[in-house]
Amino acid sequence: MLRVDRRYFHHFDWGLLLLLLLVSGMALMNLYSACYPPSLFGMSPYLKQCYLFLMGGMGMLFILCFDYKELHFWSYIFYALIIAFLLFVLVAGNSAGGAQRWINLGLFKLQPSELAKLMLVITLASYYSRRKEEDGYGIKEMSFPVALTVLPFLLILKQPDLGTALMLVIIFVSMTVFAKVSWQTYLFGGIAGSGLTVFAWFYLLRDYQKRRIETLLDPGKDPMGQGYQILQSKIAVGSGGVGGQGYMEGTQGHLHFLPERHTDFAFSVWGEEWGFTGSVVFLAAYFTMLLWGLYVAMTARDRFGVFLSFGVVMLIFWQAVINLLMILGLLPVVGIPLPMVSYGGSSLLTTLLALGILMNVRMRRFQKGQNLDMEKVKQ
Amino acid sequence: MKWSGFNNLEELGAGDHDDAGLDSLKKRVILAGMIILCFFALIITRFWFLQIYKGNEYRKRADSNRVRVSEVAAPRGNITDRKGRTLVTNRPSFNVVLVREDSYNVDALIKELAVAIDVDISTLWGKLREAEGKPRHIPIRLLEDIDWETLAYLENHNQKFPGIRIETIPARVYHYQDVAAHAIGYLGEISKKELAASDSRIYSGGDLIGKMGIEKLREIDLRGEKGSSSSEVNARGFEQQLLRKIEPLPGNDIQLTLDVEMQRVAETFMAAGDRAGAVVAMEVKTGRMLVLASNPVLPLSQFVGGISQKNWNALLENPKHPLINKVVQAMYPPGSTYKMITAMAGLAAGVITPETVLYCPGHYSFGNRRYHCWKGGGHGAVNLKRAISESCDVYFYQVGLRVGVDKLANMAGKFGFGVRSGIEMEHEKRGLIPTKEWKKKKYQKKWQEGETLSVAIGQGFNLVTPLQICQMTAIIANGGTRYKPQLIEKITGSDGKVLSQFEPVVAGDLAGEKIFLKFIQDGMEEVVQGRRGTASKIRINGIRIAGKTGTAQVVHLKQYRNLKEEEIPYKYRDHAWFTCYAPADDPEIAVTVLVEHGLHGGSGASPVARAILKVFFADRLKKTAAEEEQSKEE
Repeated sequence: MLRVDRRYFHHFDWGLLLLLLLVSGMALMNLYSACYPPSLFGMSPYLKQCYLFLMGGMGMLFILCFDYKELHFWSYIFYALIIAFLLFVLVAGNSAGGAQRWINLGLFKLQPSELAKLMLVITLASYYSRRKEEDGYGIKEMSFPVALTVLPFLLILKQPDLGTALMLVIIFVSMTVFAKVSWQTYLFGGIAGSGLTVFAWFYLLRDYQKRRIETLLDPGKDPMGQGYQILQSKIAVGSGGVGGQGYMEGTQGHLHFLPERHTDFAFSVWGEEWGFTGSVVFLAAYFTMLLWGLYVAMTARDRFGVFLSFGVVMLIFWQAVINLLMILGLLPVVGIPLPMVSYGGSSLLTTLLALGILMNVRMRRFQKGQNLDMEKVKQ
Repeated sequence: MKWSGFNNLEELGAGDHDDAGLDSLKKRVILAGMIILCFFALIITRFWFLQIYKGNEYRKRADSNRVRVSEVAAPRGNITDRKGRTLVTNRPSFNVVLVREDSYNVDALIKELAVAIDVDISTLWGKLREAEGKPRHIPIRLLEDIDWETLAYLENHNQKFPGIRIETIPARVYHYQDVAAHAIGYLGEISKKELAASDSRIYSGGDLIGKMGIEKLREIDLRGEKGSSSSEVNARGFEQQLLRKIEPLPGNDIQLTLDVEMQRVAETFMAAGDRAGAVVAMEVKTGRMLVLASNPVLPLSQFVGGISQKNWNALLENPKHPLINKVVQAMYPPGSTYKMITAMAGLAAGVITPETVLYCPGHYSFGNRRYHCWKGGGHGAVNLKRAISESCDVYFYQVGLRVGVDKLANMAGKFGFGVRSGIEMEHEKRGLIPTKEWKKKKYQKKWQEGETLSVAIGQGFNLVTPLQICQMTAIIANGGTRYKPQLIEKITGSDGKVLSQFEPVVAGDLAGEKIFLKFIQDGMEEVVQGRRGTASKIRINGIRIAGKTGTAQVVHLKQYRNLKEEEIPYKYRDHAWFTCYAPADDPEIAVTVLVEHGLHGGSGASPVARAILKVFFADRLKKTAAEEEQSKEE
């Protein structure tokens, strides 16, 4: 199982690695500015993030050693493990900001809800790749993946972490639509979805969550509350102009007008300091990386590979889009990080592992009929 | 264990013969790529919108976020008296202000602050409510003129109160307490109305502005020009660095013509007897005001940092009306002081000469009424000099009748009655000088000749202000020139440059009728210096004084006629007038005293005038005393 085939080296995705290094280089540089001066944060998040990049990189290498097909087997074990983590967090997790999200691991606090996103991608990919429905999945066939999604969804919602919980739904919807469902399923899903939304608004959402959504509709209404963050972020990005204020020169970030400037609003700092030019350069690299991921899906050798790479791209893509639209004042503040750019160990590790899976799929695109491996899985 | 779908998996694993399914999946990947590109385009467009289309606007907002321009109040100009003694100046005072924009939770902050510095939370809420609707970055003044202890506490704990700042502004200090309060006036926070009417570059909410007296009328001179300081602040409102500072330009200093010592004597003398009224003194040959006292005085110190509602109500409800500047804002019947006008009118009209002798039996019958003289037994045969010095009513009844009310009014006008003097004091009253035409207009009734009798002794419709009586006295003393009363000697810029300097302004002249003043002067000198004068008690050894007493009846009630003066209720007692000038041979100063309900002028008002004259002539009196001493020794 660990035999090293020279073809792996040949087939290694150097392009994706290059893009990854480019994006993470810019992200770390930005984080350094966003966390300046370091004294304010204890151990600099910048340094921590550097360590975590190294850890994540090693995790990626480790993942590359196994054929991704093994994930069919491991996905259910991961699933059980993550659910256990989520339960543990609810019972004994570290609470911050009124929510219980973390397990303290010393160097960083593990946030199982972040890993849950990747776990869902793997589990769904495994399920959908094994079943082929020519006319799309009917309502009956959907019950299993729905159940797979709803369990962690509810656990994360309970923390409460609406943003991450919704991310699970978005991943589920993306992958399911990708897998093709029947029109009845669409209809039913649409009705159930809107019914649940209405129900959630009146019975499940907490006041602060509702306020965030209301604030988006009228940010001027409460400029010191939720609207303040959006407004300050827009000012930060807007004041960047064409060429930016200059690296380490952004006043919005450095004078603390920008809230959460090293986490959720990290990219506002980039926009302020590098302007439109810098934003376009960064986003071009970032989206090229995502499209590269789709290219990996296109060239994957089997359905599982396609689903896995597609799911990983969706995982990163939707978080990025939601975060960017949020800092640009087009979505409410929901606490979704920009993968690789926002400070946060769990998010970074999850993203790097996800990219590792992508590389894995790419690397093994020419291997066909791995029956040998399958036998092992059976045992 | 066997999982469902494993057969499919093996099929999939075979790979090649399932290309169709894989291909349709891969087509959907292309679709996903397009969706991703659409979002990319949307996000880039949004970046373009914020950074390029609206870039300048957000750049400005970032700057206004970061740069706080705060006003630096200008020290107001000082006010001094004629000898340069400082009446009003400034000291630093410390106010607690709140910038709501810099505070995350205003409610919690206010609660914490109220506990920490032990103030009533409702006053803080009140201040906040007043500021409702103002932009959030405008500082709201929560507390004014805090003590050193509170200041030290807040300075040391500023991290605990984000949004709370200490503002240092100059506050007024009154070195002579309430002296000349009505003339100087006081400051108060600019009202919404005043703010709306003013230039927003000059005033902003919370500024102090003159509300009365010179502080109000000379606001433009005194206020100076605000400075500003621009500093970079962080999101919590703490200043990071000073970017630019423009020093304020102090206001101009004003030197008044008033003499603080005389003013103080006047006020304390009045206050000592618990007297309400006015004391006015002016230089007869220039119009410089030396004393402008109105009692009871205003407690100026109560106005620093805003007067409390309780104190304000007390002022409003005080029966002696401290809020009214009685020098110009109150009108009284002139009483016998008006007899000089009647005499002048008689002389000018040629109906009497100084030698004309009229008989006073103690009353005068006109129509079917008897008009009494104040002296029941009568004065017998009196000429002009005696009529003035002994204030014979019957004499002036007859002069008045001969002259007629219109000629009396004409003469009164020449002495400044019935018009505003133009002194720099607000709400100056014109007074009232009745004429036939006036009565017809006002009451649609014909003038009754009997009313002329009352007017002739200053007891009819006529009303005057104490300042007008003083002005009349000055005109008599200086030989017929009416000078506009002024109270500003000099205005000096903060750089020491004199911006304006006192110059006498002639407002009127008696012209050919000046020649008759001599006879009036003689009569008035007799009032004080004569053996039987009504104010002989106030003589000062060494200075000859000319004056006139007056009693202004408040009511003519029979029930009080037989009572002793002290038994009449306060508000029905007569007002007491005394007006004089000195020295009689070469007059320099005119002094007028009105004591409300002070009974009669000789005893109620004249001692105040005497005290003022003694201060004014102090140097000369000392010299005379020394010379006398010497001559005795010799």
